Amino acid sequence: MNTFADKVGLGWRADLAAGILSHLDRIDMLEVIADDFFDAPRRDIRALKTLASQVSVVLHGVGMGLASSVPVENERLEKMARLVEQVRPQFWSEHLAFVRGEGIEIGHLAAPPRTVDTLNGAAENLSRAAALAGSRPMMENIATLIDPPGSTLSESAWISGILASSDCDLLLDLHNVYANGLNHGYDPKIFLRQIPAARIKAIHIAGGKFISAPDGRQRLLDDHLHDVPDPVFELLEEAAALSSNSLTVILERDGAYPSMDCLLAQMRLARQALARGRARRIVAQEVFV
Amino acid sequence: MSAHSFEAFLARIYVDVGARARFKANPRGEARRAGLSDEECTALEDIDWVGLEMAARSFARKRQSNLNRRRALPLWDRLRQFLVILSKRLRFHEK
Repeated sequence: MNTFADKVGLGWRADLAAGILSHLDRIDMLEVIADDFFDAPRRDIRALKTLASQVSVVLHGVGMGLASSVPVENERLEKMARLVEQVRPQFWSEHLAFVRGEGIEIGHLAAPPRTVDTLNGAAENLSRAAALAGSRPMMENIATLIDPPGSTLSESAWISGILASSDCDLLLDLHNVYANGLNHGYDPKIFLRQIPAARIKAIHIAGGKFISAPDGRQRLLDDHLHDVPDPVFELLEEAAALSSNSLTVILERDGAYPSMDCLLAQMRLARQALARGRARRIVAQEVFV
Repeated sequence: MSAHSFEAFLARIYVDVGARARFKANPRGEARRAGLSDEECTALEDIDWVGLEMAARSFARKRQSNLNRRRALPLWDRLRQFLVILSKRLRFHEK
């Protein structure tokens, strides 16, 4: 039996609204994209607050670009702080990514060079974000198709360094770990042992697809348009076996929506993986005692 | 300052097809022209070329997808209506 207060939820998407609201008995938590509400009219904020009054909500930012040697603009931090104040989420989160440079918007999450400069820059940005919003964000590892050039630190060392410097917890995206492991040649299970388990507080699961490179080889794209593959559930079991924290697991789906039954089935698989991991943890502790 | 320039250079070659083509034709020359250090120029010469092309295409698709999503924002209006109806029903049942 899983005695941890683990929760399994779903990413809020307008296309899924009806399905989500009619199955709230099986959804512990909703994750809302914060950026969609930064400049929203008051009526939309009221709708979000109504939602938050019915189910636990977490806010997830996608556009700040906190993992950068460049200081994040105050305006972006203030928008998030204002929304956190209005919605009072269980927690808020952002990505270990940069998204722009000297006015050029990349339009998505990009992996910065994993260096001491970006580590220190991220820590500074996170300190300012926490001060303004009144709480530290959880930070999510990202998937990258390109091995970030100029890196002097491993991905696990860089992430661990930022978490230690900023005192932030980790939103561990397991499909990103799986994709980066496949694309850049490391074992995701070893990666999980290299990051601080005590910092893992929330988890993302998602799916993707293989795309062909010009040289004919394939890389895994984290597109959130496909079902969660079995190896990600295996990694979820590993994470649950490693972590002593209660975990919030969010299933992310950004399009090509399947039936609500299909999404609920994947959430059920997530609960089962959590239970298997927790059982392993309990057995391991009993053996140790 | 150089770390900022390095990130800006990456953003440019991820987004701008012309800048990427010039960089592919002359990696060190383009990096040097952007004022990057010798060490950074060398890092860019050793870039994951396959990953660069795949990432750039992926970013372009994402930008287009974000644009389409913004155009479809009236969905939130439909959601708001749904929530208003739902909360009224809940209040009715509570009474």
